[in-house]
Amino acid sequence: MPIIEVSKLGKDFSSGRVLVRALADVSFSVEEGRFVTLVGPSGCGKATLPQSLAGVIAATSGEVRIEGERICAPMPNKISMVFQDPTLLPWKTALANVEFPLDLRGVERTARRKRCSALLELVGLNEFANHYPHELSGGMRQRVAIARGLAPDPRLILMDEPFAALDEQTRTRMGHDLLDIWEKTGKTVFFITHSLAEAIYLSDFVLVMSPRPGRIIKTIAIDFPRPRELDIIGSEAFGRIRNRIWHLISESPA
Amino acid sequence: MMGSRTIKALVIAATIVALWEAVVRLGLVNQIILAAPSDIALAAAKDGGLFLRAFATTIMEIGAAILIAWTLGIGLGVVVGSLPVLAAATAPVLSSIFAIPLIILYPLLMAWLGIGPLSKIVFGVLSGFFPIALNTIDGVRAIERRYLLFARSVGATRLQTYVRIVFPLALPAMLSGLRIGTGLVVIGVIVTEMLASLGGIGFLISYHRTLFNTGHVYLGMVLALAIAVTVNIGLTWLDRRIGLWRMREQAEG
Repeated sequence: MPIIEVSKLGKDFSSGRVLVRALADVSFSVEEGRFVTLVGPSGCGKATLPQSLAGVIAATSGEVRIEGERICAPMPNKISMVFQDPTLLPWKTALANVEFPLDLRGVERTARRKRCSALLELVGLNEFANHYPHELSGGMRQRVAIARGLAPDPRLILMDEPFAALDEQTRTRMGHDLLDIWEKTGKTVFFITHSLAEAIYLSDFVLVMSPRPGRIIKTIAIDFPRPRELDIIGSEAFGRIRNRIWHLISESPA
Repeated sequence: MMGSRTIKALVIAATIVALWEAVVRLGLVNQIILAAPSDIALAAAKDGGLFLRAFATTIMEIGAAILIAWTLGIGLGVVVGSLPVLAAATAPVLSSIFAIPLIILYPLLMAWLGIGPLSKIVFGVLSGFFPIALNTIDGVRAIERRYLLFARSVGATRLQTYVRIVFPLALPAMLSGLRIGTGLVVIGVIVTEMLASLGGIGFLISYHRTLFNTGHVYLGMVLALAIAVTVNIGLTWLDRRIGLWRMREQAEG
């Protein structure tokens, strides 16, 4: 059974008196343990999809099932979200931020401290456990946010352009490390980006979305063997896939 | 052992007191306008017990009014601020009320609540409530949506969202309201004691003024100042603590 099943999902927003159709008739499924990325032109409703998958906003039509269970409210034990902005709580240390979701759930202090210290180590920040967000770089903050997303041991992690605000080098490095974390934890990752290279480098499958109203126009399997090295980005096969996706996006009516 | 700064401060203070005493004793200033330090000391020796009791009354009134104004102002501010429709409807009304000189309501309050501490506490609360509520509303409204999405995604209950996320995020903005509001509580209580009452520092100042007991008036002023300074020290301490968060928040945002 696929971990994510989306069928005929639609989402309308009313912005003032204008009805905006963000998503229309979105259907796809994702198998457990996969790394799947959604790409699409800007303003295609890319951000709406993970929010619907997480149950933080309600869909207008259609349905989302996670592990067969229909989503109508957040399921924090199964699904975590990582946002473009790390959204860390500025008065809490890195470790306390990672612990926060478990703290909310009343997980006992020593247990959550132990688990979350291990997660900080996994994202490479064990030496920064007691630093506050303003003492960390942008990349480090996002690492804390990823560790926080892993804290409840979810089945699925939704990442909404998590590296978009980072500089090119940090971004590439973060992608590489994210793959490492993904391989170690075996989580299903649903990732949103507007960088085609990032999408292809990271993913098992790339979902290509049309301009608004967003629909999935193509699912492309990425067959590069894993573990992947950054070198593949320069390869001819990589370029061919990138061109193909580029044409799909640019040829769909904007 | 005292530091050299403390010694310096003491020397300066002693000089000022000596000069002050001299100015009055030499008859350079009328004793009804300016009481000599010795007059204040005499007043304290004569009616010290009375003044201490009044001091306690005023502290009780101010303490109660601060507590209630903070609770109501912050509580209402958080709730109204997180409901956009309510905030849009309420904020203009609150700001207009804040612009009214509330002292015109005091005769009514006295008629309803009597001449005792209750009318002072209620007036103090009224004075402090509006700036606290208004700034809290602003602070809560300024919280970015991403934090609320985050709260939902980690399954925070409504109460947890308010207490663990919204309240601390709004704290820095709340602080300016607390500063203004708390100052106004102190003023409100002392002024209404002076207008009509049977106890409190404000009452003693007002009473002895009519008798030209300038030493007593100055003793009352010193005690009132002591309260204001203490409150200000408390607020500055709070400001430092929260200022640190604000710095962090800016760095984060």
